[in-house]
Amino acid sequence: MTQAVAIQPASNVRRPGWRGSGLFAPMVTWLALFVVAPTAILLVYSFFTGEGIGEVDTHFTLENYRRIFTPVYLDLFWRSILYAGATTILCALIGYPVAWYIGRAPASRRGKLLMLVMIPFMTSFLIRTYAWLIILHEHGLFNGFLEAAHLIPTVFSHPLNILYTPTAVMIALVYTYLPFMILPIYTSVEKLDPSLIEAAADLGAGPTRSFFRVILPLTWPGVAAGILMVFVPAIAMFAVTKIMSGGHIRLIGDEIQEQFEGGGDLPFGSALGMALLILFLVTYWISAGRGAKELRGA
Amino acid sequence: MKHFHFGLIVATVLSLAGCNRSSQKQQQRLHLFAWSEYVPQEVIDGFTKQTGIPVDYEVYDSNEKMLTKLLSSPGHYDLIQPSEYMVEHLIKRGLLEPVDQSAIPNVGNLLPEYRNPEYDPGMKYSVPYMAGTVGIAYNSDKIKDPIRGYQDVFQPKYAGRIIALDDNREIVSWALDVKGIDINDVTPANLAKVKPLLADWLKLIKIFNSDDPKPQLFSGDVDLGVVYCGDAAKLIEQDKKFKYVLPAEGAHRFIDNLCIPKDAPDKQAAEAFINYILQPEVSKIISDKFPYTNPNGAARKLLTPQQLANPASYPPDSVHLEIFHDIGKANADISQLMTELRNGR
Amino acid sequence: MAHPLPSGNSLARLILPAWTIAVLVFLYLPIVLLVVYSFNNVPTNMDLSAHWHGFTLRWYRAMWADRTLMGSVQNTLIIASAVTVVSIVLGTGAAWLMHRFVFPAAGGLQTLILLPMIIPEIIMGVSLMLLFRAIGLNRGYLTVIIAHVTFCFPFVMAAVQARLAGIDPALEEAALDLGATPIRAFFSVIVPYLMPAIVAGGLLAFTLSIDEFMVTYFTYDASSMTLPILIYSEARTGLKLTLNAVSTLFTAGTILLVLAMELLRSRR
Repeated sequence: MTQAVAIQPASNVRRPGWRGSGLFAPMVTWLALFVVAPTAILLVYSFFTGEGIGEVDTHFTLENYRRIFTPVYLDLFWRSILYAGATTILCALIGYPVAWYIGRAPASRRGKLLMLVMIPFMTSFLIRTYAWLIILHEHGLFNGFLEAAHLIPTVFSHPLNILYTPTAVMIALVYTYLPFMILPIYTSVEKLDPSLIEAAADLGAGPTRSFFRVILPLTWPGVAAGILMVFVPAIAMFAVTKIMSGGHIRLIGDEIQEQFEGGGDLPFGSALGMALLILFLVTYWISAGRGAKELRGA
Repeated sequence: MKHFHFGLIVATVLSLAGCNRSSQKQQQRLHLFAWSEYVPQEVIDGFTKQTGIPVDYEVYDSNEKMLTKLLSSPGHYDLIQPSEYMVEHLIKRGLLEPVDQSAIPNVGNLLPEYRNPEYDPGMKYSVPYMAGTVGIAYNSDKIKDPIRGYQDVFQPKYAGRIIALDDNREIVSWALDVKGIDINDVTPANLAKVKPLLADWLKLIKIFNSDDPKPQLFSGDVDLGVVYCGDAAKLIEQDKKFKYVLPAEGAHRFIDNLCIPKDAPDKQAAEAFINYILQPEVSKIISDKFPYTNPNGAARKLLTPQQLANPASYPPDSVHLEIFHDIGKANADISQLMTELRNGR
Repeated sequence: MAHPLPSGNSLARLILPAWTIAVLVFLYLPIVLLVVYSFNNVPTNMDLSAHWHGFTLRWYRAMWADRTLMGSVQNTLIIASAVTVVSIVLGTGAAWLMHRFVFPAAGGLQTLILLPMIIPEIIMGVSLMLLFRAIGLNRGYLTVIIAHVTFCFPFVMAAVQARLAGIDPALEEAALDLGATPIRAFFSVIVPYLMPAIVAGGLLAFTLSIDEFMVTYFTYDASSMTLPILIYSEARTGLKLTLNAVSTLFTAGTILLVLAMELLRSRR
């Protein structure tokens, strides 16, 4: 049983020879230019000192990093991680059943359902966020609906004040990132071999056992990809949190914006960016490590 | 499916080819880099019609973003639209081209009080575009007590009903005004003096919004706050129940200007545009759309009595108005202080 | 009796579709609202309360007359299409190469590719802008496309890698045994297998590109202004229902495209 699930090293997996390395060349050049270079610029700037708008003192210093390790910014990072983490968990819980349903649907329907999920995201996130303002507003759609259904004033004594609260921020964040979770999980679900699940059932495993011992491990690559695609960008999110919370809840993304603009301190903003990067690397290695373990073990 | 892919590749190639063409030398062309929502399309089109010079219009929403892009695009922009403190900064760094006033005869339309700004004496490098103030707007249906200044706004009884600009430097300057300190004297000592006041104020604010406080004041999310005069003017145009007051403790006035960056590719087009903007009929169009304080005396003659009577656009002269100066490194101190206070919630 | 679901539980059979529908309602609520508002004769752009003020087409007329808006839509579509194509090619290629070859630097390379997904967009934008200046590349279509591809293709790669993680190695071997060259085996056997991931990743890339503001902001010039740049500068000052009109047309256009593709597929 485990043999069928574990990945055998294919005979064609090998170290690249000269020709193989040649295939890598374009990609490596691209990376060097458009990924390494910007990151290097970022790294270098993070050791400088800001001297006002757009001016920089180029003496090497670790002051920016020391500043990050003060309660103010540590709190900021922690809060961003919490929000991003909560968003990721909610997206996973809400999105997995949807990805499952679409992945197991008849082949002809899968494409349509997928598109149905993606169509709302062909519109600007800013406009969708503003739509949420009207929905969650005190005199907005949601309260209007509650009133029409006579839930106000019976169940709720007055219109719900959802806007400008953390709840509103969570709604907007989950809304923004849901497809980034659904899509990768879908690709894993879609390739599941139904006979494996049947076999588990035949061997007496109940639905819960089947899920946690067979299905989840098999679809874990998709879930891991989803976690990466949601958690990490969510920390760097800007604008949405500001709008939905009335400017109260600011995450690292907003703070970096502020440093590049109002504060005029590019080096500090770069240091914050580097810190975010390191956070990403940690998250990635953890989830990648777990993923590999699941595949080998199961 | 194959045809679809082929079509995409063709589109890509064509668009890249188009990109090459546009970078070749052309006839006169104006590269305008201005605030978003500040130069009506009608005005831009009118310029092209009048002079035959096409306009490439890029936008920014903060002085700092403008500077960042300007620094990395030498020889790209003909005109920028910095605020007064940014003009100071740009002059200090030698990034501006002097403006040839003989090429801008309409400059005579400007009111005398704008002709010799303290940030650019004699208008050597800048020409005022629009001015304005930051002040208090409130809904007089909901607020019955008199509102004369910041201290009337930031009272515990208005907790959760206040809106403020999402601009750290602004908020700090209001506190400095209340303490009687020069808003440009941003020293660590002075920041420490206003810190407790700021801490109290921040607890009372419901919404921070620099982009557009109008919907929130209009829809009743908040009842009063400190906003840009242009937004207040629009609210007043909409409903007379809204009032605008310049805080008695001191108010910040801003002046946005047209400037020509050094190495501008087409200085003549830039000066032609400035001259065009100073035409009263053109300036009136700007005022109609963006009811800030128009520095153009000839244009003001074309405005309606209602427009001129709007207290947000044309406030009475009684209050002492200050402007921001370039405070350099102190910006970072403000940022640090406000991040500390705002994230403490 | 063969059950497609783990337990053959009829309860699960009911819950899953119901859940999906509920999620879809959640996803479409703001969309429906903005579509409805595009026909709403709202007298002022300051009103956040949900009221119907009568049907009107004035926002569509205004949108059509707005040359800047229409130009930005065109730019956005062209750029997004180019970005999707390049991202699919780079992303699929990268995923396959990482799957095929094992070498010590593989982990580092993988991380490097995924880096743009995390670097905050403003930093990505500013540093790319500085880079383009350093290598003498003028801002325009090309710079925007490059900038978008940089953070879009990792999404394609991640989706394809998730799918490759479970590929049966016998698949490719079988193709090679049957006499196909490695390239032919790739295109006729591997790519079809990867299609769901390619489509999913491509969709993500396209969606990311048409909505990308911050990176575009630092790499565009006037002739390549995109819709997000316009929206970002205009949507923040009150309701701009011409933007609702544009968004409605985008949504409608996407739906039509999907229907058209379905028709084509069923025709075959």
